[in-house]
Amino acid sequence: MASQAAFNYQQQVEEIRQAMQCDFVALALVQSEERHFQIRWEFASGNLSQRFRRIILQSGKGIAGIVFKTGKPVFAPDAEKYCTKEDLYNYPIIAAEQIESFAAIPLFKYNRVKGILLAGCRKNNCMSIEKFELLKSLVAPTFGPYYSEELTRK
Amino acid sequence: MKGISQSGVSNLLEHLYENSTEAIFFFSLDGRVLSMNKAAERILDPQVAQLMKAGSADAICMACKGFTSVEEEQTCISCYMSDPERNIPSFQVFLETAGRGTVPYTGSIQMIDAEQGIRVFMLRDLTEQFKTQETLHQKTLVKRVIKAQEDERKRISRELHDSVAQEMLSSLVDLRVLKYMNVEDDVLKKVRQTEGSLMRLLDDIRHLSVQLRPATLDDLGLEAAFRTHFKWTEKNYGLLVHFTSNMQSQRFEGEIETVVYRVCQEAVFNALKYAEVEEVDVELLLTSDVLTLTVRDHGVGFNLNAPTYKGTGLGLFGMKERAELVNATLSVQTGIGNGTTILLTVPLTKEETEVENNHRG
Repeated sequence: MASQAAFNYQQQVEEIRQAMQCDFVALALVQSEERHFQIRWEFASGNLSQRFRRIILQSGKGIAGIVFKTGKPVFAPDAEKYCTKEDLYNYPIIAAEQIESFAAIPLFKYNRVKGILLAGCRKNNCMSIEKFELLKSLVAPTFGPYYSEELTRK
Repeated sequence: MKGISQSGVSNLLEHLYENSTEAIFFFSLDGRVLSMNKAAERILDPQVAQLMKAGSADAICMACKGFTSVEEEQTCISCYMSDPERNIPSFQVFLETAGRGTVPYTGSIQMIDAEQGIRVFMLRDLTEQFKTQETLHQKTLVKRVIKAQEDERKRISRELHDSVAQEMLSSLVDLRVLKYMNVEDDVLKKVRQTEGSLMRLLDDIRHLSVQLRPATLDDLGLEAAFRTHFKWTEKNYGLLVHFTSNMQSQRFEGEIETVVYRVCQEAVFNALKYAEVEEVDVELLLTSDVLTLTVRDHGVGFNLNAPTYKGTGLGLFGMKERAELVNATLSVQTGIGNGTTILLTVPLTKEETEVENNHRG
């Protein structure tokens, strides 16, 4: 627990944004059982508004919900293609922060998705494969108490 | 009537024949055209008209695309021309016309000279009436579709809430019992995880049920349903809704509540999708004989006269159709940069007003 407290998420998120040269980086964490495993964006860097704090997602909803449910990363160099205009409102963080290009990866703990890291730009096609790989490497093998990959059973 | 002589009548008839917009054909017993008026010539393809004039038998079949029977829209079975004895005061017939394609007409055929077997065949253009009818038909259809959708949603929502969610809950309870049995630690951990997944699933089912149609609307009424819904929009979309209402827990007819709820839902969604705002005002006001719903945003607005559709363009149309279901009026005030206000005014049912009148009396 001590190491967890020492881990400064906000600073880490800022640093990732620096390293990635992105406009926006945010970390969503899965809440405890008592809070119905809701997903909230807890830490953000480069945000336009405080709207992200109001967003509470259920599994399968929004970018974080999808990453949470599938346990797979999302790579969307063209956000408009990924979430069509008709459907954009279902991705509130993308709409609120006017993200045009993004990637999101799951963070694991006890082989369950416990966090979602999102990096995005307000410019189309800014998120390249290289940046996507960089994002994955930045949190590998661990990010605070989280693992970048699902661990196979010992 | 008295003043017109026999010759006067023939004169008028001649005018009618020459100048009428109705196409008139005279047919002989064997189906040849004896004569046809200008209007008839105008609607027909010139080649066909020539053939008819030349007295070719069955020339009408080159233009006729069938008539409407109970079995088929366009058929030749038991053709109106086939039986000279049969007078048909009106039927629908499709004609291949010059330049306008196949057009529906009202036709009538009757024997006017039994001795020589001469029949008159008259055609009246039906396109306009058809369009009107079709629009009307579409409107009723849309209303039925809305109603059917609402009923179906209600059914599935109830089913999910009452049966699927209940079953899920009892298996969850069963699973919880495991925790108090003598089990090993790693089993216990797994049980906890499974419990968590099941709880999430249960929540998902409940949300699905509420999203389809909130049971709160039927059980507790508009205000409660709105408050729950706006809490949900805030969570899911980060959109703040400022809701004010003066109706407390007053209940209305089910249909009115549904319409108000759905219109408001659509209006708030529109604001969320297109207005580029983070906050929306919703006001529900009840006066003695009307219920008004106002949904106002201070977003980008749009040009009402020449809207550029970002979505399907059906949202506003659907809201209007829904409003018509309960004789309510829907008005939209907007302009580019001026935000948008949707105003729904629902007249409360006569019975309700009458009851009040009786009270006063």
